[in-house]
Amino acid sequence: MRIGVFICQCGTNIAGTVDTRAVAKKAMEFPDVVFAVDYMYTCSEPGQKEIQDAISSHRLQGVVVAACSPRMHEPTFRRAVKKAGINPYMFEQANIREHCSWIGTDREANTRKAIDMVRMSVEKLRRNQALFSTQVAVNKRVLVIGGGVAGIQAALDCSDGGLEVVMVEREPSIGGKMAKLDKTFPTIDCSSCILGPKMVDVAQKENIRLYAYSEVEAISGYIGNFKVDIRKKATYVDWNACTGCGECTQKCPSKKAFDHFNEGLGATTAINIPFPQAIPKKARIDSDYCRYLTGGKCRVCEKICPVKAIRFDMKDEIVTEEVGAIIVASGYDLFDARVYGEYGGGRYPDVISAMQYERILSASGPYGGHIRRPSDGREPKEIVFISCVGSRDISVDRPYCSGICCMYIAKQAIMTRDHIPDSNCYVSYMDIRAPGKGYDEFIRRAQEEYGVKYIRGRVGRIYPRGDRLVVQGADTLLGVQVEIEADLVVLATGVECSAGARPLAEKLRISYDQHGFYMESHPKLRPVETNTAGVFLAGVCQGPKDIPASVGQGSAAASKVQALFSRDTIETDPQVAHVNENMCIGCGKCEQVCPFGAIRMKTLRDGSRKSEVLETVCQGCGLCNATCPNKAIQLRHSTDDQILAEINTLFD
Amino acid sequence: MSSKSDAKQEREIKIVGFLCNWCSYGGADTAGVCRFRQPTDLRIIRIPCTGRIDPLMIVKSLIQGADGVLVSGCHPNDCHYAVGNFYARRRMEVLKRFLPYMGFQSDRFRYTWVSASEGQIWQQVVTDFSETIHRLGPNPGLHQTVDSAPAVSWF
Amino acid sequence: MDDKTNALREHVKGIFSNLELVLGWEPGYDPLHTRPFYVRTESDIDRLTANCLSFQNLTRYLAKSMNAVDPAADGRKIGVCVKGCDSRSLVALIQEKFVSRDRVYVIGLPCRGTLDARRIRALVPDPARIRSVNAEGDELVVETDRGISRFALDRAIARKCLQCRYPNPVIHDVLIGDPVTPRLKIDAENPSVAAVEALSLEDRLLFWENQLDRCIRCFACRNACPLCVCQNHCIMETRMPKWITQYRNMNEKFMFHMIHALHLAGRCTECGECERVCPVGIPVALIKEKINAIIYEMLDYESGIDPEAVPPLLTFSPKETGI
Repeated sequence: MRIGVFICQCGTNIAGTVDTRAVAKKAMEFPDVVFAVDYMYTCSEPGQKEIQDAISSHRLQGVVVAACSPRMHEPTFRRAVKKAGINPYMFEQANIREHCSWIGTDREANTRKAIDMVRMSVEKLRRNQALFSTQVAVNKRVLVIGGGVAGIQAALDCSDGGLEVVMVEREPSIGGKMAKLDKTFPTIDCSSCILGPKMVDVAQKENIRLYAYSEVEAISGYIGNFKVDIRKKATYVDWNACTGCGECTQKCPSKKAFDHFNEGLGATTAINIPFPQAIPKKARIDSDYCRYLTGGKCRVCEKICPVKAIRFDMKDEIVTEEVGAIIVASGYDLFDARVYGEYGGGRYPDVISAMQYERILSASGPYGGHIRRPSDGREPKEIVFISCVGSRDISVDRPYCSGICCMYIAKQAIMTRDHIPDSNCYVSYMDIRAPGKGYDEFIRRAQEEYGVKYIRGRVGRIYPRGDRLVVQGADTLLGVQVEIEADLVVLATGVECSAGARPLAEKLRISYDQHGFYMESHPKLRPVETNTAGVFLAGVCQGPKDIPASVGQGSAAASKVQALFSRDTIETDPQVAHVNENMCIGCGKCEQVCPFGAIRMKTLRDGSRKSEVLETVCQGCGLCNATCPNKAIQLRHSTDDQILAEINTLFD
Repeated sequence: MSSKSDAKQEREIKIVGFLCNWCSYGGADTAGVCRFRQPTDLRIIRIPCTGRIDPLMIVKSLIQGADGVLVSGCHPNDCHYAVGNFYARRRMEVLKRFLPYMGFQSDRFRYTWVSASEGQIWQQVVTDFSETIHRLGPNPGLHQTVDSAPAVSWF
Repeated sequence: MDDKTNALREHVKGIFSNLELVLGWEPGYDPLHTRPFYVRTESDIDRLTANCLSFQNLTRYLAKSMNAVDPAADGRKIGVCVKGCDSRSLVALIQEKFVSRDRVYVIGLPCRGTLDARRIRALVPDPARIRSVNAEGDELVVETDRGISRFALDRAIARKCLQCRYPNPVIHDVLIGDPVTPRLKIDAENPSVAAVEALSLEDRLLFWENQLDRCIRCFACRNACPLCVCQNHCIMETRMPKWITQYRNMNEKFMFHMIHALHLAGRCTECGECERVCPVGIPVALIKEKINAIIYEMLDYESGIDPEAVPPLLTFSPKETGI
């Protein structure tokens, strides 16, 4: 191989503490090096020209540039050598700036170090191979997991862009948490009025296929070509026939079924339509409460149904969809307030969660929009809101801020004062977090215009006295103990990862943080990508956020998918693992450890088992290479021989 | 590699560093950008992930004469490839406990987790590890011939 | 192992019609050896032996035999005779899917220890005169052409057997003979490892250098190992990648044994075959025993016990307790 070495002075950034001329001179002694020079700014236009000229005049087959970090300029130089006719992977960059000239002032030691680094790069380059990307066709369909507002936005944007969308929603209706809200902050506009039309759109768009009451069972494949198994859970109602007329729900004798939509405040029938605006508006039988499915007698709905849609023998069904990209908008759960025993959540009927209160406020809620206490139906006059229940508390492993509670408490307090003008609202808070357009003004309105009393401090204990609740706590601003006799206590339960978040992440092969929120590729610069190519994030599954941010992320994820699908094929990174079949013993350890499912075992005609890399799935981590006992699987561009050569050359 | 008898006490200390591309290599870049002064003994090999580390690379480095081996990657849970460093952690810890049994100084090998933003921590890691290695002195390497050896009887 | 030859033959006769073949032992070329034996026909059964000389770990041959038999054949299984230690290798092979449990018929042989030919030679100065050896109770009875001598059995059995923790097969379809009491408790410290660790760091290096200096890289240890599944695709022999050169020096000898040991980390079942076959008497297994001890302490795992378990270095736990 004929190698050229280019030592960048980077002005004085490198030349100030490294004798670049001496490095270039020494480099000429290294094996295969036929040309070496130092230059003022190698990355500049004339610097790149110098490389390209040297490639042609010295017939170079490989290039080493000793300059800044390859994380900075590797793409630049790869393009430069490619233009001069060399394969871009016949290039190596020695990082003699960040890792050398900038961190030491001893010119001699720095120069010796730079020489070593160039020598290592040369030895690695001598074992480089020309690598070529492959093109794979893209299936221009997108899967959206989760039908909350983020997923809906993503699906509608993709649909508007002409893409076919498959949406999977775990619950019987889309809408997510937002559908349960009465109003939204800081504008107090009606939640279902703004979400409803979008939900209807999802149902009506011809290029959106909705699987409600379904879950993702398994995912295989890779960017451009995923295969998704979807489990359609048994509803016991043929949704193709059901018209959503609701006759069955009128006649169903089992009227004590848990009402998920109303957070358990009311009861519903065993066969039910979750809420009036549900999409799809279809009936479902809750098998835990159905008299026929639990006791074997009843079948009233079957007799009533005008279109004969009831199917008691229905089983879960698995359907397979093929898509090219996946948007994960799987949402969140709310913290279980029962963890704080001192607040009595779950024990005292009038200590409720904010989401329950939201349902009480809602005109479609269990009390028709009239504020009443769950215990005796009396209208409460003294209402205490407690913030940070399951947020910013290390003792319950929730150190993060849920971001939305301060705002929704203010909203609920304002609405309470609207509904019951002679009521008193107290908010016990730690700090008020209201960064957002019009948010801080909204809090001020609650305090000043609506007279909501904000008390800074933690509530220590809640206990009943008569039919009321005594809230004991501290006012840390006044430095006094506070005791309020309340009619109703609302706990602002924080956001936590959805119960199914971790298993879903395993299926998607994406990573999650210690609290179960999905990890984006880069916290600032790649907020909706994951490290699994072709999988994007939207909404609270990535971390707590409010509706505008979720919608924004939904649109962002959709635009990422559209950018991906704007091409017919995608180019793969060739720095992936490769199996030497002659050496492979078929032990399958690589398949076992691969985090991306990029390896599968195949059987040759002679019956021997060999592993095989799906190059489009492989992300190039090299775990298989490290695991393979006899190194039959090698990570291209970072092979054992290359790493060993770098080690060996240091100690010759 | 030099044997114990002709090891030059004055020769330059060389530490091999295996750094994952996504976190620690970036952390070392950050330290450079911030001009955090560090000893010059470290020679960095860029690898995609600590999961790429076969403990034998560390053994090879030590046998070849590396005075120290430093492996650094993303913090557990932050791996770019989700789980690579979890595998690496087990493998490297087994090696670290095994080395002294074979007569290697286990202090010559260290593994740490440094993120791309932790330039200052990287400076501390490099400084501290280099000091450790300087205290241990150059790696004497293996004896090429053995004249007398201790006997061990087990039964 | 006490002599179980007759019981074994009787059992195999009873079930042979259901088996494709049986891996066992037959008498070897001298009274100090047996050798592996494939029982293929009814008449072969009378050549089977099982006694204190049945030291070979037959599971080493098993993965190969599985492939040698047409899988479509009438569902007959392969019989294999295993001692306690061998059974752990079998479990490890099942774990790694080299052997499928439902295709093997495991004949378990509880074992009080196998003889170490080297140690017998130390007891009997002229082994050529030995006519027979036999374990009787706690004594080894050696019959030479000059008469009969008796030695304490512990002076003649292998190192691995003196620290045996699993004398009874951990899996078996039939057990020939009664279970025996282990010499050491499961969680007992490995006495040989402790003996090496009692040395100073410098002395340990000298000890291993002195041992490994004798290595001629004949690969006998590798070939005998039931879990060295790469065999002739071993990286010790390939030039690409070139982990090891052909130079005959300490560095390469050391590297060779480090590769062997680390490749078995979390997998070695301490059958001791590597050590037994070493022509120059290096205590090769002693290297791996330490790694096993580390993994037991760190990850609470022993290889070759649970066929469903995943070897610990092929999996992970986000929250490590031992690290």
